Amino acid sequence: MREEEQPSKKEQRRQQIIAGALKLFARKGFYTTTIPDIARSLGMSAGNLYNYFRSKELLAQEILRSVSSYLGRRIRYVNESDLPTREKIRSIVGLYFETALREPEMIDFFLRIYLSNREVFREGCEGMVCVNEFVTEIMIFFDEGVARGDLRNQEFFSAFGLFMGYLGGMVFLGGEQMLPKPLPEYVDEVSENIYRALKTPEAS
Amino acid sequence: MNSPVRLLWLSALTCNGNAHALLNYPDLEHWQHRFEWLYHPLLPSRFSLGELLAQQPECDILILEGTLDSNFSKAGKDLTEWIEIFAPAARAVVTVGSCATFGGIFLEGGEGRSGLHFRRGERRDAYDALWEKSISLPGCPVQPEILASTLEMLAQETPLDLDVYRRPLLFYGTTVHNGCTRNEYFEYKIDEHRFGEMEGCMFYEHGCQGTYTHGSCNRILWNNVNSKTRIGQPCMGCTEPDFPTTGLWETRKHMGIPARLPAGIPKRAYLSLAGVAKAFHIERFRRPILDPVERYDPMKEQE
Amino acid sequence: MRKRVELIEKIEGEAEVSYTYEGDRTVDAQIRFLSGRGIESILTGRPPLDALAITPRVCGICGHAHLIATVRALEACYPELRISPKAEAVRELTLTLELLQNHFKWLYLTIWPLLFPRESVTMKAVEPSRIAAEAIALLAGQYPHNSYAIPGGIVGEITPLERLGVADRLERLWEIFRREIADVQMQAFLRCDRIEELQRKEGDFPRILREILDRGWERLGCSHDRFIAFGSNGLFVSGKSLATRITHSLDLRHLREEPVEGSLALHVLYRGKVYETGPLARAMLRKTPLIREAHRRWGDSLPTRIMARVCEIPHLLQYAMQLTRDLDMDAPAWIDPGPLPAQAQGTGIVEAARGSLIHTVEVREGKIAEYRIVTPTQWNLGSGPADRPGVAQKALIGLHRDDQAELIFKSFDVCSVCTTH
Repeated sequence: MREEEQPSKKEQRRQQIIAGALKLFARKGFYTTTIPDIARSLGMSAGNLYNYFRSKELLAQEILRSVSSYLGRRIRYVNESDLPTREKIRSIVGLYFETALREPEMIDFFLRIYLSNREVFREGCEGMVCVNEFVTEIMIFFDEGVARGDLRNQEFFSAFGLFMGYLGGMVFLGGEQMLPKPLPEYVDEVSENIYRALKTPEAS
Repeated sequence: MNSPVRLLWLSALTCNGNAHALLNYPDLEHWQHRFEWLYHPLLPSRFSLGELLAQQPECDILILEGTLDSNFSKAGKDLTEWIEIFAPAARAVVTVGSCATFGGIFLEGGEGRSGLHFRRGERRDAYDALWEKSISLPGCPVQPEILASTLEMLAQETPLDLDVYRRPLLFYGTTVHNGCTRNEYFEYKIDEHRFGEMEGCMFYEHGCQGTYTHGSCNRILWNNVNSKTRIGQPCMGCTEPDFPTTGLWETRKHMGIPARLPAGIPKRAYLSLAGVAKAFHIERFRRPILDPVERYDPMKEQE
Repeated sequence: MRKRVELIEKIEGEAEVSYTYEGDRTVDAQIRFLSGRGIESILTGRPPLDALAITPRVCGICGHAHLIATVRALEACYPELRISPKAEAVRELTLTLELLQNHFKWLYLTIWPLLFPRESVTMKAVEPSRIAAEAIALLAGQYPHNSYAIPGGIVGEITPLERLGVADRLERLWEIFRREIADVQMQAFLRCDRIEELQRKEGDFPRILREILDRGWERLGCSHDRFIAFGSNGLFVSGKSLATRITHSLDLRHLREEPVEGSLALHVLYRGKVYETGPLARAMLRKTPLIREAHRRWGDSLPTRIMARVCEIPHLLQYAMQLTRDLDMDAPAWIDPGPLPAQAQGTGIVEAARGSLIHTVEVREGKIAEYRIVTPTQWNLGSGPADRPGVAQKALIGLHRDDQAELIFKSFDVCSVCTTH
């Protein structure tokens, strides 16, 4: 029995470290946050934390995987629904903004740490390896949209950039308190804009 | 000695490609000893078409080549009648090539055309009575080894496991991708491919259908020496019901994602694996295999 | 007047000949092909490159010639296009190998059984044609039915491994020729103009010749004595001739197809006249000494026609051996020609086993708007009214025996499937 409990306890502790580090990284940035800072916020020793993650880079990479996995799972839920393409876009935009509000550090991590400190992720997160789950679901969404004749066929990245750049920009403006209205009130218009930008001329 | 198995080869709308391909079977001479051709469009045969109609001899295996056409007659008799005369007594009916099986290339050339049991992938019921004894050997043409061994197995009464299109699993149970010498470029998602080279995989840009086409082209080599994909021609999917698809030299993609994926692989699984494989820069695959200037040094890579 | 309809079998399908007799002498022979597949309409509306996969399927014995005609027609759609000497030579090689395969099959599967029905020689056709097919497959992936020639060159790289495989197989084909067909020395044979010398050699061809002469059939099967060949390469020259009077300039605008009553094959004319195409035409135009000599003695008759085809084999082999030897291994196999123009027209000409093959493609809005194929059998087997007979039709007039008719008909080497594309 003990042997089975121990890894699960260890795993719980790992998850706590990821959650705690995520908050600190998102708030203070990657370089100004130190391993002792993270350990202290969790009431553990830096030495003990190193038992879980050998370096700050590896910890950041693990966080990225877990954020990607979280968003990927939620988008997969949308992909597996019977919603029309237009509604799917609305759901994805909705869940993204909702995550930005409820778990702001997740989106912040994506935008401020991952995209701004590429060198941290160069070894270990080559290409899309650490964001695979998230990107795969976006690919599946696009693929089905095109297959149904709703979305205009194009290069993946031209569509991906439009979709994710737009959402990232809105969350950034929200985070900087520059939006006159709360983020969720933009879901309809943002979704409609994305749909119109990506749809085929024939789709309504 | 057992009496030879009597074969009757009937051609409908055809290019004769399957009949010619059989002539390339490496051991045709010895293989033929166990059979007797009541009729073959090229090889010496016991009867002429006129004699066949006049004498109506029984055949053990009826072989059909070419697209069936309701307007097609042979030696003054509709093809339907030929089938009605010779099929009932036959032990098996073998459709050779994609035309006789699914309709093939000539399907679109006129009204009333189809394969024996299928029109593309759609089942027809005109010859339902023959369904149980029919074997489909699609391909454009069928590989002679497949035809020779299928006929041999039928002669020996060896049971054949078949798929939904009645293709023997022994030959159509795997994909054309299996055994392709360009496999590594597919596995590691090297999507650049240029014609005229030994390197690269035609799946990503140039329409290769090998990963979802059922056949043995890279397991049983063509003419004993080669295959289309090995030389660098994309597989055109000639053993499948929808052959020929349109746009044969270009991979159809949805936002950069191949619209058709390897047989049986879920999209999510494929994309996840592809995402991982693509992330890594593998030097060996970026270089020409024959590079006199910067020769690849296997020892160096192991360090 | 008596009439007789005969179904000619094993000519890559069938054809029907209806003879009209006066007494026991044929005065007309109408040739009918009874099915059509509609390849030209199947191509319409498709992306132009699809033709590379579709047209080889016109024919199981000469599909490669269709591929090369298609690729040439597509390449002619580009205002400018360059292919490397290597790609050009490899295409010539596979095409030449296909001609060889045809000639062996025709000799032993078509002609031999009519002259010596009791002797089974199937393997004499099968062995060399299989070897030729292997050599094609080494370069082109498979045979029959590949699409390895594409605008700009060929799909894959050719290495010394493939070249060696081809060279060795060409040697084997030459050995088979000497062992079975005629035991001659290549260089001496290519220059030879003495029929008696060939007749004295060991082999099946001298035997065929002796048999035809013994039967007194050497003047049978004469036709219009007008020859045409549109294709030219390192071996063949293009032009037309009336007997031995040669004109080298040809203009495709003078080519016209016309329907034949009751047949699904179109008759084809140049400046309103029928012409014979194929090995005899090619030999007349390139003045092959032995064939010129046969023509001088017997005219454009049965033995001349058979000899022209059989004697093309050493010429083809020598050409293929030279191509293989001279192959520039350092040249690129493919030079990217860029996208095919969305509006264009192009014609591709090939000397196929049975003669000139012409493909014309018209591309509009990036799709095939029209595709036209003129096959050798349309030239040779086209049927006209009795006072304006086609080539084979004329050769079949004036005969007294039915067994002569089938041999003469098949001496043209008919390809029913090509004709009924």
